[in-house]
Amino acid sequence: MENKLRRYEKIEFLGEGQFATVYKARDVETDTFVAVKKIKIGTRQEADDGINRTALREIKLLQELHHKNLIGLLDVFGHMSNVSLVFDFMDTDLEVIIKDNTIILTTGNIKAYILQTLQGLEYLHLNWILHRDLKPNNLLVNAAGVLKIGDFGLAKLYGSPNRINTHQVVTRWYRAPELLYGAKQYGTCIDMWAVGCILAELLLRVPLFPGESDLDQLTKIFSVFGNPTEETWPGVKQLSDYIEFKPLPCIPLKNIFTAAGNDLLDLIESMLVLNPIKRREASECLQLPFFSNKPAPTLGSKLPLPKNVRTIRDIEKPSLKRKILDAAEGGTLSKRLLF
Amino acid sequence: MKDVIDVMELQREKIKKVTPLDYKKLDFNNGFTPARFIFECGVKLRGQPLTLATAAVIMHRFFREVDPANYDSYLIAASALYLAGKVKDDPLKIRDIINVAHNSLHRGSSPLEIGDEYWNMRDAIVQAELLIMRVLKFEVGTVHPHKFMLHYLKSMERWIGKEQWESIPVARAAAAFLQDFHHDSSILDYDPRHVAIACISLALQCYGVQLPLMEDTDDEVWYNIFVKDLPKDKHWEIMEKIMETYNREPEPNA
Repeated sequence: MENKLRRYEKIEFLGEGQFATVYKARDVETDTFVAVKKIKIGTRQEADDGINRTALREIKLLQELHHKNLIGLLDVFGHMSNVSLVFDFMDTDLEVIIKDNTIILTTGNIKAYILQTLQGLEYLHLNWILHRDLKPNNLLVNAAGVLKIGDFGLAKLYGSPNRINTHQVVTRWYRAPELLYGAKQYGTCIDMWAVGCILAELLLRVPLFPGESDLDQLTKIFSVFGNPTEETWPGVKQLSDYIEFKPLPCIPLKNIFTAAGNDLLDLIESMLVLNPIKRREASECLQLPFFSNKPAPTLGSKLPLPKNVRTIRDIEKPSLKRKILDAAEGGTLSKRLLF
Repeated sequence: MKDVIDVMELQREKIKKVTPLDYKKLDFNNGFTPARFIFECGVKLRGQPLTLATAAVIMHRFFREVDPANYDSYLIAASALYLAGKVKDDPLKIRDIINVAHNSLHRGSSPLEIGDEYWNMRDAIVQAELLIMRVLKFEVGTVHPHKFMLHYLKSMERWIGKEQWESIPVARAAAAFLQDFHHDSSILDYDPRHVAIACISLALQCYGVQLPLMEDTDDEVWYNIFVKDLPKDKHWEIMEKIMETYNREPEPNA
């Protein structure tokens, strides 16, 4: 076990979440950067529940999933009473990119990000897994411009007809209307709504529906799409938390996304549909003209990066070249689970 | 290898009256005893069948890596059950597991008071969980035979005809063989699809079911439409292993 601690040389502290602290480290065996997520052993109460469920979900699911647009779990190791997960190192995420107003996002850039998101999500859904927490902050981007979906702490298998799920998933701004209405059985459509919101945010550079409460969230959604009726969304009134809203008019998306072309509006309209069964699947969205029309999605190496990452990329020119080569070969390193 | 699978042998088990086992008097029995303990506790906890199967597989895998004499097999069993609940998103509460495990080991005793003994057990289960994870190299996902078996049985329902199918409990028997086979660590040695086929075969033989449109020839076996890579002798071997599991069951009041 000591050799695992020595294998990953800690470089810097990256961040702290509810359940874990994340460090940037160098894997001395492969001489690459990795992100080491050390699961917190918190209070006595938490420690007594044993292995953190969130971490276990990530371990279990990511060991079986391999796709260039999903974060790769490279290694897992235990030391004392800790568990650490080793991931691909990612330089930034879409939230940082969206908020960085020195970056200009062209249609080609946005196409590249959404294309990669949908490709990762298509693979996930084909494997009967829902992500359940898609947001710009969880779409990680590396210096080579490869986007990977991260944070599988809420991900879950779906499709079992007798399984009741919680509707308290997905960060509120990206939460689909059926979840806000308390739906306990849902499918891939909840992830598609979130991608629709993320796409809108890439265009607007601010969240599309920044609700301050669950009720406010629904108000914001309905003020764009109008309120749902039994005609537009059969069965909506049977949902457990259904509440009637005063009639709101529907605003054409063209008025919100003034700079977007018709093919892009079609994509948004495929994902942001109130009725969950009318929302299109990731595979269907990928077939839309938007992805085959000009402009072509921007090449990874040409995608914009936030300032701090940009300077690193310039300094580390040779390593960038290697990263691009890696990306061309399919990206992630082969998984090792040595003990 | 025997020429025939003696299904009549299974009948004699039924005559025995089921009495609660006294685990304190049982030895490890090559993993049978902790598996029996997992299923008893798991059923009492109303765990899903796949959760219990996962727990048994985790326990068998653990004891293949270590010397069983060095560990308390009931602690490992309880911990495997707790871990399986997390793996399968079938929340089994640690407090319930402790109470059920304690009561199964000490029959008739009152529930454990919240005190040192309780906290020690809780700590032990949590520590063992991490140990199991590390011994299994954090690979806790399992491909179960169940989903294959369900698929095969569903197809056979049409093959045999709904009326005859419903008159013979083949599906129930096959499911029982599959669950019981989890008492034996040899379940780890076979492809899950092959295990599913062997359980169904055994169930068909028990009830003497003849499959329609099947000639009894040497070169054609009924399961060829489901799996192509199961040789006859392997098929036979798995069926024998399933049968042997029943011989390992301890005599009541032994």
